[in-house]
Amino acid sequence: MDIEQKQAEFIDHFVKQASAQKGTALVSVIVEATSHPSLFAFSEILAVPTFAELDGTENSEYLEVLRLFAHGTWSDYKSNSGSLPQLVPDQVLKLKQLTVLTLAETNKVLPYDQLMLELDVTNVRELEDFLINECMYAGIVRGKLDQLRRCFEIQFATGRDLRPGQLGSMIETLSNWLGTSDNLLISIQDKIKWVDNMSELDKKHRKEVEDKVEELKKSISAKLPTVSRLKLTSEGSKRSTLNLVE
Amino acid sequence: MASSSSSGLTFKLHPLVIVNISDHYTRVKSQMNPPLVSSTSATVNGVEPQQQAPRIYGCVVGVQRGRTVEIFNSFELLYDPSTHSLDRPFLEKKQELYKKVFPHFYILGWYSTGSDAQESDMHIHKALMDINESPLYVLLNPTINPAQKDLPVTIYESELHVIDGIPQLIFVRSSYTIETVEAERISVDHVAHLKPSDGGSAATQLAAHLTGIHSAIKMLNSRISVLHHYLVGMQKGDIPCENSLLRQVSSLLRRLPAIESEKFQDDFLMEYNDTMLVTYLAMFTNCSGTMNELVDKFNTAYDRHSRRGWTDCFHLNTVIV
Repeated sequence: MDIEQKQAEFIDHFVKQASAQKGTALVSVIVEATSHPSLFAFSEILAVPTFAELDGTENSEYLEVLRLFAHGTWSDYKSNSGSLPQLVPDQVLKLKQLTVLTLAETNKVLPYDQLMLELDVTNVRELEDFLINECMYAGIVRGKLDQLRRCFEIQFATGRDLRPGQLGSMIETLSNWLGTSDNLLISIQDKIKWVDNMSELDKKHRKEVEDKVEELKKSISAKLPTVSRLKLTSEGSKRSTLNLVE
Repeated sequence: MASSSSSGLTFKLHPLVIVNISDHYTRVKSQMNPPLVSSTSATVNGVEPQQQAPRIYGCVVGVQRGRTVEIFNSFELLYDPSTHSLDRPFLEKKQELYKKVFPHFYILGWYSTGSDAQESDMHIHKALMDINESPLYVLLNPTINPAQKDLPVTIYESELHVIDGIPQLIFVRSSYTIETVEAERISVDHVAHLKPSDGGSAATQLAAHLTGIHSAIKMLNSRISVLHHYLVGMQKGDIPCENSLLRQVSSLLRRLPAIESEKFQDDFLMEYNDTMLVTYLAMFTNCSGTMNELVDKFNTAYDRHSRRGWTDCFHLNTVIV
C-alpha cells in the first residue's frame, strides 16, 4: 500500500545512517527519525545492531524512546516521563498519531471521550482538527467522523510495528478467517445442491400430475356415452390431485 | 513448429478481437447447417474436408508503439481455396476505410481457427508480409475444453530459422496479455453473467447466483491461505521477517469484521424480515388463488347435479379427505 511505499525509502535512509554511526551520533538519528513526518515504522531501524550497543550506556533512554515510538502510546510516555528525555513538538505529534493507530487496533469505533483522554485534548473541535489534519490527510487512517454519536468509525488504519507476540494472534485470526470462508463455501455448495434437488422434485411431481390428468382424460373420452357418474369421479380425482399439488 | 518467441515484443490483445473471431466462427458454423457432407470428388485438390470445423480467416488491426504491439480490432476475410490466399482487393479496400476512421491503426496480421498452426498457413503469412514486415498470426482453438483454464488463443510470429541448412520461416509462439478499455470490460462482464434466455426458473437463477458467489469466495479463500502459509513460515523462521509486509497484513486484519455495529444489525434484520414477510404474503396469495379455483370447480361439478349431489358429494369428500 502507498504508505509502505512512501516509508520504504526513508527507512532505508535511516537504517544506513544508523549503521554508519555510533554512540551519541545515533541519538541525533533517533530524534530525526522520530520527528520525520512520513515515517511511522521503526522496527527496521530498531533492528540495526548498533542500537543494541546503546543499551546500558547513558544514551539508553533514547533507545527507550525509539522503542516507545515503535510500540507504545502517548499515555506510556506520560507515565514514564521521568525516565525519558524531553520530546520535541514534532515527536509529540508523531507519538499522538501512533497512539491513534494503536487505538484503532482494538476497536473499529472509537468514542470521542476515549480519544480525548488518550490524546490529552480538551475539546471536540481540537480533536477533530487533529484527526482530520494529522491523521486522515497524512493517509494513515481512513474513516468517518460521527459527531452526533461522538465517535470515530475507522475503515482502514496503517499497521504499526509488530510486537513479538502479535504474529501468533495474526496467524490465529487468519486461520479463523480461512475456517469461516471454508464453512461458507461448503454451505453455499449444499444450498446449490438443495436448490437443484428441489427443482428436480418439483418437475417430477408436475409431470406425474400431468400424466394422471392425461390418463383420466383418455379414459373419459373412451367412455363418453356414460358420462355422469364417471365424469364426477374423474373430476373428483382431478381435484384431489390438484390438492396434492398445493 | 512452435517454440517460444525471442523477438522481445510485448503483445496486448483486446477482448473485442477474441469476441469477433468467435462470433465469426459461430456464424459460419451455424450457417453450415446441415453440415457439409464431405463428398470425395469435391475435395480432390487436397483441401481438408470441412465437416465440423470450418476454418475462418480474417485480419487483425492495431497499433505498434516501439516494442509494444496492441491489437484492437479485427475484420473478416474470404479465403480463396484455389489460390490459397486471402481476398486481396477486399483487404486493401477495408484497409483504406479503416485508415479514414482510425488513422493510427495498421494491419498487424491475420487470424484463423484451428488447434495448431499449419504449414499451409505460411503461404497466407508470406502474402501478408508485404503489408507488414512481420505479421502476426492469431489462432483461436474453437474446441471447448472444460478443463482448460486459460484462453484458447495463441499468437504466433514468424522467425527466420536455419533448418537443415536452409533458412526458413517458421511460426513461433508468443505470449500476450489482455488489455481492456472500460467499455470492453463492461461488455465482457455482461457476457460472463449470461442468464438463460427465457429467464430460467427461479431455481436456475438462484443456482447461477450462488455459483457466482461461490467462485468469488473461493478465490478469496485461496489468497487468504497464501497469506496464512507465509505467516506460519515466518513464525517458524523459514522465511526472514519482512516488517513492511507484516504491517500491511496487520492493517488488513484490523479491517475485519467488515461491518459490525448495532445499527447494521438493526437494518439488516429489518430488511431480512421485510423480505420474509413479502414472500409469505406472496405464498398466501398463491394459496388463496388455488383454493378459489378449487371451490369454483367444486361448484361447477355440483350445481348441475344438485339432486344426486348428496351421494356423490359424500364420495367426493372421502376422496379429498
